[in-house]
Amino acid sequence: MEGNGIVNNDDQERLLDEALQQVKMESFQMKRDLDKSKLMDGLKHASDMIKELRTSVLTPKNYYELYMAIGDELRHLQNYLTEELKKDQLKTDLYELVQYAGNIIPRLYLLVTMGVVYIHVKSKSYKVILKDLVEMCRGVQHPLRGLFLRNYLLQCTKNVLPDIDPEADESERESLKIDVQDSIDFILQNFAEMNKLWVRMQHLGHSRNREKRENERQELRILVGTNLVRLSQLEGVDMANYKVTVLPRILEQVVNCKDAIAQEYLMECIIQVFPDEFHLQTLGCFLQACADLHPNVNVKNTIIALVDRLALFVSRDNSSGIPTDIKLFDIFSEEVARIISVRPSMKLEDIVSMQSAVINLAFKCYPERIDYVDKVLGATVDVFSKRNVDAVSSGSALCKEMSNLLQMPIDVYNNILTILKLQYYGPLYEHLDYNARKRIAVNIVTNGLDNDTIIDTPDQVDALLLLVSALVQDQADQPSEVDEESFCEEQGLIGRLVHLLFSENPDEHFFILKKAISHFEKGGNKRMLVTLPAVVFASYKLATRYKDQQESDDKWERKCKKLFETCRSIINTLCQAEQADLPFRLFLQGALTVSELGFSNHEAIAYEFISQAFSIYEEDISDSRAQFAAVFLFISTVERCHCFSEENHAPLRTQCAHAASRLLKKPDQCRAVAHVSHLFWSSKTQETGGEEMRDGKRVAECLKKAVKTANQCMEAATQLQLFVEILNKYLYFVEHQCEAITYEIIGQLIAKIRTELPEISDANEHDMIKMHFDNTLKHIEERKESLAAQGNTEDLMFTLSLD
Amino acid sequence: MVLVLVVGDMHIPYRASGLSPKFKKLLVPGKIQHILCTGNLSTRESYDYLKTLASDVHVVRGDFDDNANYPEQKVVTVGQFRIGMCHGHQICPWGDIESLALLQRQLDVDILLFGHTQKFEAYEHENRFYINPGSITGAYSPTNTNVTPSFVLMDIQAGTVVTYVYQLHGNDVKVERIEYHKS
Repeated sequence: MEGNGIVNNDDQERLLDEALQQVKMESFQMKRDLDKSKLMDGLKHASDMIKELRTSVLTPKNYYELYMAIGDELRHLQNYLTEELKKDQLKTDLYELVQYAGNIIPRLYLLVTMGVVYIHVKSKSYKVILKDLVEMCRGVQHPLRGLFLRNYLLQCTKNVLPDIDPEADESERESLKIDVQDSIDFILQNFAEMNKLWVRMQHLGHSRNREKRENERQELRILVGTNLVRLSQLEGVDMANYKVTVLPRILEQVVNCKDAIAQEYLMECIIQVFPDEFHLQTLGCFLQACADLHPNVNVKNTIIALVDRLALFVSRDNSSGIPTDIKLFDIFSEEVARIISVRPSMKLEDIVSMQSAVINLAFKCYPERIDYVDKVLGATVDVFSKRNVDAVSSGSALCKEMSNLLQMPIDVYNNILTILKLQYYGPLYEHLDYNARKRIAVNIVTNGLDNDTIIDTPDQVDALLLLVSALVQDQADQPSEVDEESFCEEQGLIGRLVHLLFSENPDEHFFILKKAISHFEKGGNKRMLVTLPAVVFASYKLATRYKDQQESDDKWERKCKKLFETCRSIINTLCQAEQADLPFRLFLQGALTVSELGFSNHEAIAYEFISQAFSIYEEDISDSRAQFAAVFLFISTVERCHCFSEENHAPLRTQCAHAASRLLKKPDQCRAVAHVSHLFWSSKTQETGGEEMRDGKRVAECLKKAVKTANQCMEAATQLQLFVEILNKYLYFVEHQCEAITYEIIGQLIAKIRTELPEISDANEHDMIKMHFDNTLKHIEERKESLAAQGNTEDLMFTLSLD
Repeated sequence: MVLVLVVGDMHIPYRASGLSPKFKKLLVPGKIQHILCTGNLSTRESYDYLKTLASDVHVVRGDFDDNANYPEQKVVTVGQFRIGMCHGHQICPWGDIESLALLQRQLDVDILLFGHTQKFEAYEHENRFYINPGSITGAYSPTNTNVTPSFVLMDIQAGTVVTYVYQLHGNDVKVERIEYHKS
């Protein structure tokens, strides 16, 4: 009956239906006969019913259905026989009798049924019967039929196998131990036989049907696994005999069968079915078996399943944790290394995947042991070098596993300083190609920013910037195409990172910045645009800290000088990178910083910075709009720098005035020149001793010049707008008691505006200017009112007639 | 009730690494109708972040903004209020009340928002309201040694603006409330 049973679906349905019909018919007769106590007839029908299980043409799924149907009916028989035996009504030895059944399948099914009845009623004979049954089943060597028969044996004996009562006391337990050993032996033998049958299925039939056979084998795997489940359910299987008897014998069978499907399934089965406490005590044994498995078995899945389970066990709230005598990590580390070495064909991505699981174990079970994590990384690096691995390209499975492995410490520690402590992180990371390295680098920096991780030593800064060098410097393997948007985002990250490089000790901080500069200077012009300004501002901030501790540090002034010298050098580097606006502004900010700090000789440095800014303005800023903005900034900055002596301030004022008057467009000129007026009013020099300069004469000159320039504007609306603005400036200064400005001038300007306003043709422009003018007049009125309220009616403002 | 967020002088990445998580937690998308930024973002990333909080974002050019196309000044109308914006580095002297008043008259606004000094201010002057939200990141400023991270939320209802200023002192966020009524 070794037919290959390959029949199509419709036929299968029909065959199954026919078989089930037979079963129904025979079982009906069987029950009828048993009701009439016609035992022999009943058994005959039972036998005929079971004969359907002799079929070779059903698929495993359908055979299973048939088996279940028959099983139901046999239970009925079993109950009947049990009752009869209890009443001692059975005359003949039925156990003997059923062995005369014609075919082996019905013979054995009936034998099992009967045997269980006997054990159940006359339990003293269990040992003999069990042994007999498990041996007799050898009679069916056809894999499918044999597996189901043995499954029937296992299910039937479920409640009759001797076991230790969980409620039993010590003395009872001792005496039952021997009996339980019988149960264990029974199940193990059944398991071994079933496994052999299952494995044999692999080689039956033509090689072209191999895939189909393997699928069918997978469908049947639970039958074999049930033996292990049954073992795990025995109370009598405790740690001791699991370790000594049960596991070794299971593993022996698993390893020796040399069948990949069986091995992969059964190893997983063991992990899932037995408690974690058992696994912890038998790790060495289990992992060694892993090394001996068939080359086609993907050992990584087994290892990962075990590690994940143990990691879960440890992290459960009420768990007792790892017993201290079990060096869990060491065991895994060693055994995994051994597995890798005896399986040279194991794929790299599987090795890395396995290492990820072991690292996960380290994180969960030994969170403080950074050296464990490093050890795993080191082992991986080792494997890579032994196998001469080159650059791993993004998109490959290996890259995915490696990225996953390298990402884990980032996510778990949330502290990039810890990553720097991992000696083998960098070497492993270096195997990735450019894109993968860049991705991880971005993740590292982002993690640092998200967690506000402070990097506080030069060495750490050095290590970090080296690690993320894919972002900081051009790489040998980077593609020539650069995505602008990503590039900007990445550089933004580095710029932001600069502000996390910080030491409480200012001197140390200075070395930190120098380290950072040494990396950034090699980054190329585009990167420097973002990184260097960040360093410059960090330096300005540092200078302030030097001043803060001037009491305790008598070298603070020298340090400040050195710092600004460094800044000057950096800003010049930006100039060489063909930048103008940015270094211009950085120099001005520097001048302000220096001016405020006031260390010895700071005036010279401030002057130098402003001069350099001015040079940049003259040479490199040529766009008229940019020039206008630059001149304004220049003026405002000089106004705010209070450190200069008159000797130095005067030329700066002059430069500002010249720059203002040399702007190309007349309106720009006008506004800039008006702006210069503030330089002569609110500036402070060393000579003014903290007071405003208040050179009213020069202020008036500036504003007069502004009016003259406005007159030269051709556009009427623009001209008028400028007049209103200058008018407001005049008011500003008279309100500040600038005596050089007379109300006569103001009155004339007001009159002029009044006259020209109606001439503006464009309604929008007219309204805007009128609104501005009206606000100005209202302001004058309100001012008069407030002066009057103060009792001051003498103020010259009252001479201003607005009619 | 219209909520307007007023922020400025973020200076990311040149002077600051990012917003404090305490502030970030308070700034929830979808609650604010308008965002008015006084400038110095400084890059696109900060602008994009503001856009995630509200779709209506207005920015004026600061002296360290990488986008030179932001306007020097802007006027936005919210409810009954004309609100003017200017970064303030163009004003001389920086932060001077009367100089700012010049701009207020020119733009004809009820409220003038300005920045640059990185110091929070909110005051009434000649019946108009002036607000400097300070620096939301507490970035470095050469002229202000003690920069406290801050931002402002305006609640505009009819003719009243209730201004809430959020300041980060150490690890604590402190809130103050100022009212301004349009006259």
